[in-house]
Amino acid sequence: MSLSRVVATAWRENLLFSVLLELTYRCNLDCFFCYNDLGLRGEPLSREQYFRLLSDLREMEVMNLTLSGGEPLAHPDFLALGARARELGFVVRIKSNGHALRGELARRVRDEVDPFLIEVSLHGATAAVHDRQTRVPGSFDRLLANLRELRSLSLRVKLNSTLTRWNEGEIEEMFDLADALGLPLQVDPEVTPRDDGDREPLQVAPSREGVLRLFRLQFARGRAAEEGKPEARVARGGDDGTVPVPVHKHCGAGSSGIAIDPFGNVYPCVQWRRPVGNLHEKGIGEIWSRSAGLAEVRDLTVRVKERIGAEGPGSHLLNFCPGSAAAHAGSPLELYPAAVQRREILEQVMVEEEKRALLPVVR
Amino acid sequence: MISITPATVLRRRSDVRYRRIEGEAVVLRQSAAEVLVLNEVGASVLDLADGESSVGEWIDALRDEYEGDSATLARDVLAFASELAEAGLLEPVAGKEEP
Ligand code: SF4
Repeated sequence: MSLSRVVATAWRENLLFSVLLELTYRCNLDCFFCYNDLGLRGEPLSREQYFRLLSDLREMEVMNLTLSGGEPLAHPDFLALGARARELGFVVRIKSNGHALRGELARRVRDEVDPFLIEVSLHGATAAVHDRQTRVPGSFDRLLANLRELRSLSLRVKLNSTLTRWNEGEIEEMFDLADALGLPLQVDPEVTPRDDGDREPLQVAPSREGVLRLFRLQFARGRAAEEGKPEARVARGGDDGTVPVPVHKHCGAGSSGIAIDPFGNVYPCVQWRRPVGNLHEKGIGEIWSRSAGLAEVRDLTVRVKERIGAEGPGSHLLNFCPGSAAAHAGSPLELYPAAVQRREILEQVMVEEEKRALLPVVR
Repeated sequence: MISITPATVLRRRSDVRYRRIEGEAVVLRQSAAEVLVLNEVGASVLDLADGESSVGEWIDALRDEYEGDSATLARDVLAFASELAEAGLLEPVAGKEEP
């Protein structure tokens, strides 16, 4: 059985496979466009509740566990939770801003948590742009030093970035920097509203030219990769992604993946903030099998697939996300401007690429 | 080539992570970032590779679960164990060879 068939089975049969835990919304940076709902209040899950959750997830045969935030390392029990996750055999990923990942802490993360991957945010190719976004002077220089240290500790690191109006002018340099560091860089071309609906982050949404520049660059790097140069990859930031698998659902949100916030609220996906239960009230097993909200979400992913399919050939270029649609347009079924623009720009770049392929090549 | 006999004791390597999905096993070798999908016998072999029991004991344990003749099962399990060891998923436990 191939991996895509396994994913298809999980989506079809609602087998929970990937869980993202937002351990805390505390953070040592202050990114302008951070999507976390910092006003959200509630009783944080205790260490014991997390331990119970992890053993329940182990019993449910969940494989992927992402520790996220806020800044997950700012959670006082981060190392204890990470070590328990390792003991229970999860494939652990950590999403961090990288600011504290150095020295003793970096070594302990490696030795005690043994993560499969650490995803670190890069905001620009220069201190001026990176620090403007993080609103912490010196964060760029510190990040570069930390990334080199993580590499020397043999930790597997990937860089994540969101294209913004502020960094779109140096996107080439960001890829050059990632190459120089020997790290893959994934760029999300879309800024989303905050999880509480606040649209302030959209002030720094990339321009059409910025997105065009990114996609052209990605195609050029894809070509270079085919010729043996470093490979570039770009995808959306969903927990289990939108793998093209032969199932009747648009994605695995609520079918093979979920996200859980620091206060125990359960969502179908980190991008889709529609609460479907709370761990202070019910265990994850019960939420997974009985939540009416999850049943609705699963049904919605079927309707999204039909809805997007009706957009005709090339509808996959929308890279449509029902979570983003709900945030942008108020409904998970509604086309939103960033998706429509993405499709237009990708079609333009693909036409350019086709013409290029017809040009005589002189080497 | 690692030679595997019924007396060999094997364990999962420390970078191996796996879960069962509908009987089969999705396996990730963290160090190589490699994903494999194993069938039910392969998945059972992974479960059994605890670094304590010998391959011969696995064969006995699997005899009740799987139909078919036991000579074929023994051959399959030995071959599987050796393939999984070659693939870097299992390793012999030093000093644990059974007499
Ligand atoms: S809700 Fe969006 S981000 Fe989440 S899995 Fe679906 S498409 Fe991906």
